[in-house]
Amino acid sequence: MTLSPAAYDYLLTLADDEHMIGARHTAWIGMGPFLEEDLAFCSIAQDELGHAIALYRLITGDESLTGVEVDTLALDRPHGEYRSSWLCEWPTDDWASALIRHWLYDLAEQLRWQNLASSSVAEAAALLPGIEREEAFHRQHATSLLDRVLATSGPTDARAKLNAALAELAPVADSLWVAPMLEAEAIAEGVAALTFAELGVRWYTTVRGELTRLGLTATFDPSAQTDRTVRSPHFETLHTDLNAVRVEDPTAIW
Amino acid sequence: MNVYEVFLKKAGKDEFRHAGSLEAPDAEMAIMYGRESYSRRAEGAEMWLVERSNVIEADPSFLAANADKPHRHNDGSAVADRRKRNRAQAQENEQS
Repeated sequence: MTLSPAAYDYLLTLADDEHMIGARHTAWIGMGPFLEEDLAFCSIAQDELGHAIALYRLITGDESLTGVEVDTLALDRPHGEYRSSWLCEWPTDDWASALIRHWLYDLAEQLRWQNLASSSVAEAAALLPGIEREEAFHRQHATSLLDRVLATSGPTDARAKLNAALAELAPVADSLWVAPMLEAEAIAEGVAALTFAELGVRWYTTVRGELTRLGLTATFDPSAQTDRTVRSPHFETLHTDLNAVRVEDPTAIW
Repeated sequence: MNVYEVFLKKAGKDEFRHAGSLEAPDAEMAIMYGRESYSRRAEGAEMWLVERSNVIEADPSFLAANADKPHRHNDGSAVADRRKRNRAQAQENEQS
């Protein structure tokens, strides 16, 4: 299978977001608020990395034919050739921020994957059933946990912490909907059904409705990330971390 | 948070077995954490969760074995001995 340049870029955009958020989620291994949540959250991180690998494999095709390895594509590109959104690159220093980002991203993912349901790239559409099953769990996990922490009265003011997390992340959340570079062509080719702008409208409706239900407040700014070739100030550190082992030992394999 | 005891059953005839315990705020989250903590690698095809406060516990002293009731520990040796003796007797009777 050979992907058109637009299909390639479109799927790379989704893959890079999955890769970066999966990598950021893994920073919470061993750091979760309690053991069970630590395990659940790291499982979600593994799911996202799994989705990234599935998409990267689809993009590289048969490694023996294309000569491009998934690791090379995932880790060796110049920064400008990555397509991730700033929200996915952002570090979270507080558990509340990690939870809010997980919630925002997984609500976005639901729309993004459904948007590939009748994709002209049949291999991408074929990923949906397996991935959607995991994503349903991600959404249930995020929403349930937000409900519970807000319903519990304890020494920590959960609402204040979550509002602070939203104040930190909502201003970069719109980056999720910065369109893939060749989106118009990709849609013309049938790779995806709707534009990111159209998906974004639906996402904001859901997110704002849920925030009202939960009694949380957030101010969303138009994305400061102007397009998908521009990296956030936090990307370089993340990318260096991801490559630390490979730099140390280029022959290292899992 | 409540403590839940987790039981898993593999597909087939195996019985449910205790897998461990976990903490969760309620039943819905307990099921999620149960899967993620104990059955991520398909260790079970079915899972039961029981809130620990609902487990009825017997006093260990009540369970302790009674040393003066050897007949409760029937391993069949008395019957086997008797049958062995009877066989030997029958053989003797045949030869005589």
